[in-house]
Amino acid sequence: MVEIAELMNTHILSSIAAVAGTIAIFQFTWAVQRKLNVIWLQPMLISILAIIVFLLWQDISFESYFSHAGLLNALLEPAVVALGFPLYQHLGTIAKQWKSIILVLMIGAFVAIISSFIITMLLIGDYSIAVALSLKSVTTPIAITIAEQLAGNTAITAFTIILAGFFGAIVGPPWLTFIKVTSPKAQGLAIGAASHVIGTSTVSNISYEHAAYSSLALIASAVITAIVSPFIISFLVTLF
Amino acid sequence: MKVIVFKENVFNALYSIFAILSCVALGRVCAFYAPLLPSSLYGLIIFTFALHLRIFNAEKIKSSVIWCIKNMAVCFVPAGVGIMNHFELVKQFGITIVAITFVTTFLLLTLVGLHYQRYAEREE
Repeated sequence: MVEIAELMNTHILSSIAAVAGTIAIFQFTWAVQRKLNVIWLQPMLISILAIIVFLLWQDISFESYFSHAGLLNALLEPAVVALGFPLYQHLGTIAKQWKSIILVLMIGAFVAIISSFIITMLLIGDYSIAVALSLKSVTTPIAITIAEQLAGNTAITAFTIILAGFFGAIVGPPWLTFIKVTSPKAQGLAIGAASHVIGTSTVSNISYEHAAYSSLALIASAVITAIVSPFIISFLVTLF
Repeated sequence: MKVIVFKENVFNALYSIFAILSCVALGRVCAFYAPLLPSSLYGLIIFTFALHLRIFNAEKIKSSVIWCIKNMAVCFVPAGVGIMNHFELVKQFGITIVAITFVTTFLLLTLVGLHYQRYAEREE
């Protein structure tokens, strides 16, 4: 076991192994999911769990794995940029509905920040955790910056962002269908607003319309939260 | 014939890489001078408008982008594994944080989804 850990830390091949291994696990789970058609067998979630178990078993640190799987992480930025394509395809329809879209996303951002802050203050009573949780629905770089500005706990921010992302990505589509939210536009907006880029990347496989509206919600929610959260949080603090 | 198709596919893939990477670069410049949004979101906006203004040919980019979007989820796996570094946090604050995250995400999903669904139905 120690040998694998040492190899992982020292050998250049470990980078290839980390990237290839990650892709292999992901593709395998995807193939199994397509065959069995089970919702909970979400490729992203299962791959993460499998890799965590493997790293813990082999006593490999996350930092070591992450530095070797850096290539995949570096591809994240171009992959997010590629989401501009479905957005471009639906630009015409979106332009006609922009007022209602912005309105619903603004209400969403307000409710997300206020509900998370108040519930956390009531249950845990810690300001830095409350700030962290109020920012969990926006994309990581923005949330971390705002959390730092407002003296929030950045480690919890990072953790809850991933949680919110996976939760919306996995439970979002079946839940929305269950409550009869079947329009691809509504589903895309809801998942983009609640589960940022992780949710967007997952629903983008359902349809282009999902991808377009989810990308739009991702951007608009990030901008809205960046602008309004400092004001809302400073106001909410006076209540406690 | 096959060679021509292959050459065309390779050209389109390279063209798409060039288009996307130039938007990534421009996004980074924007994020440097106006740090309101992260560079990837600036890149996304620039890419959308570059296609809209026909700076890039959407037809040539289409197949590469479809492939890219279909497979992008795998790029989140390394960052997601980062959860293992936060086990201590969960131990410290218990399951409350996880529960609050789930409940409020649920609330947001339902609110935005229902609200826009009603609007979409009215429009139709």
